[in-house]
Amino acid sequence: MTLAWFLQNLLNGLSMGSVYAIFALGYTLVFSILGIINFAHGAVFTLGAYLTYLLSVGQFGINGLLAGWQLPFTLPFPLALLAGAGLSGLAGMAVERLAFKPLRARQADALLALVSSLGVALILVNLIQYLFGAEIYSYPSDVLGSLPPAFIFKVGGKPVAVRTVQIVLFVVSLVMLAALAWFIHGTKAGKALRATAENQDTASLLGINVDAFILGTFFVSGLLGGLSGTLIGVSFGLSGPYFGVAYGLKALAVIVLGGLGSIPGAVLGGLVIGLGEAFLPPDLSSYKEAVAYALLFVILLVRPQGLLGGTTEQKV
Amino acid sequence: MLALDDVTLAYGPVVAVEGVSLTVEQGEIVTLIGANGAGKTTILRAVSRLIKPRKGSVAFMGRDLAGLTPDKVVRLGLAHSPEGRQVLARLSVLENLELGAYVRSDAAGVAEDLERMFGLFPRLRERQRQAAGTLSGGEQQMLAIARALMSRPRLLLLDEPSLGLAPIIVEEIFEIITALNREGTTILLVEQNAHLAMQAAHRAYVLEAGRLVVSGDARALMDDERVKRAYLG
Ligand SMILES: Nc1ncnc2c1ncn2[C@@H]1O[C@H](COP(=O)(O)OP(=O)(O)OP(=O)(O)O)[C@@H](O)[C@H]1O
Ligand SMILES: [Mg+2]
Repeated sequence: MTLAWFLQNLLNGLSMGSVYAIFALGYTLVFSILGIINFAHGAVFTLGAYLTYLLSVGQFGINGLLAGWQLPFTLPFPLALLAGAGLSGLAGMAVERLAFKPLRARQADALLALVSSLGVALILVNLIQYLFGAEIYSYPSDVLGSLPPAFIFKVGGKPVAVRTVQIVLFVVSLVMLAALAWFIHGTKAGKALRATAENQDTASLLGINVDAFILGTFFVSGLLGGLSGTLIGVSFGLSGPYFGVAYGLKALAVIVLGGLGSIPGAVLGGLVIGLGEAFLPPDLSSYKEAVAYALLFVILLVRPQGLLGGTTEQKV
Repeated sequence: MLALDDVTLAYGPVVAVEGVSLTVEQGEIVTLIGANGAGKTTILRAVSRLIKPRKGSVAFMGRDLAGLTPDKVVRLGLAHSPEGRQVLARLSVLENLELGAYVRSDAAGVAEDLERMFGLFPRLRERQRQAAGTLSGGEQQMLAIARALMSRPRLLLLDEPSLGLAPIIVEEIFEIITALNREGTTILLVEQNAHLAMQAAHRAYVLEAGRLVVSGDARALMDDERVKRAYLG
């Protein structure tokens, strides 16, 4: 229990937790506006990870329809990250148009949208598997160019290592959070978005194009999903087309733990789970995947509405 | 300015309004009165395209509204202060007012109108930073009206602006309504308080169970039997 040990876990936890936070925010944004969980979000996470990989590495190995096929160009990782996130945003928009809008137009039960988003998720995941196969892909070690793989400094004589990838995770997530907070609370469009989240009829009577804001929300949500998929992918590799499912469930735990529909709640929930996993004693490390649900269980016992849910907290 | 032609409106299988034709001319205050459930709110919702007519047409500024979404109608110059003070509860009073001017891009004019609303409703100035949901019922009603005015509408739809307000505030609201009208805003007013509404209005339409039963000069209609009946419900 040295200071170095503490710092090391803190850094690990913050970097993972910040990615959980932006991934979970993708659920929260859609939930704020439509009151529905978008189950395709985990598939968009996977899609983003694969797209960025394809754009920066240029090819996928041995299985799938595209085995051995070579992209005629590759992008430096930062550009590939942006492009992958942007394309994931477009995928998010497609999810809205395929899974949500047709049902909304018929005023169908919200439960149906849940099922149809699950359907779109399955299609996406199977498409990825069909194209790229099911094996694990890792980024080449020089993906971040000439940057060193880690920075090591000593605290009280003990080493603390920060992987460069962890810094990327943390900084990119922080930038996204700041941008989102500025957009929602500092711009006219953000104000209109909050109005739409609160009451679509009233918003439309103020001249707000509700449909466009819903579509825009799915874009941002998809972008956050693709971005977090990429960040996890570059950190741990792409463990097959289904790897978004496990993370998707964890992000659901994050939003419930933080308080459904609350943006500060999603951020706090992400950090709590990230730190919880990081501080797990090494001999329990095989239970790492259970930490999120254990924390969820304990916190819901004490606060059934989640950490920041059910207060006067604004939804968006 | 506004023309409904043989409009039928329904919620699923339930027909709420049948074969209604009415017009509002530039510069008028027209009131639509009728008992609870007569279909007044439903008609206003059709004008702002929150619901689509099953039959008939609605035209605003000489343009058939078929196929337009509500936000497009707002951009044509319509403002609708809905029934039951639909303020955005989680947004601040100021944000509600600013969103009232969402379709405008003249910042200076918006700032001027904001001052004007604070002049008309001093309570809103005091509470501008407060979440709108924490206002009293009467204050929310004021906010809903002020917000509708922030778009500088050509035509203003008011759905029961006096609901739940103290008599003295109601009087003030009606003074504001007539003053706005003198300045050039055309108004379609739905009111439970038929007496006040008909005093303020140029013309009136009386609705009974989804059908128009009588219409004409507001003052002349005040003593009409059918109006009394509608008024008394
Ligand atoms: N969402 C809805 N679904 C089904 N029926 C509805 C709906 N809204 C209104 N109605 C019905 O349509 C009819 C007209 O309602 P509307 O709200 O237009 O009446 P109103 O004249 O505004 O009454 P009030 O003076 O009470 O506000 C009523 O019979 C009402 O029950
Ligand atoms: Mg009504």
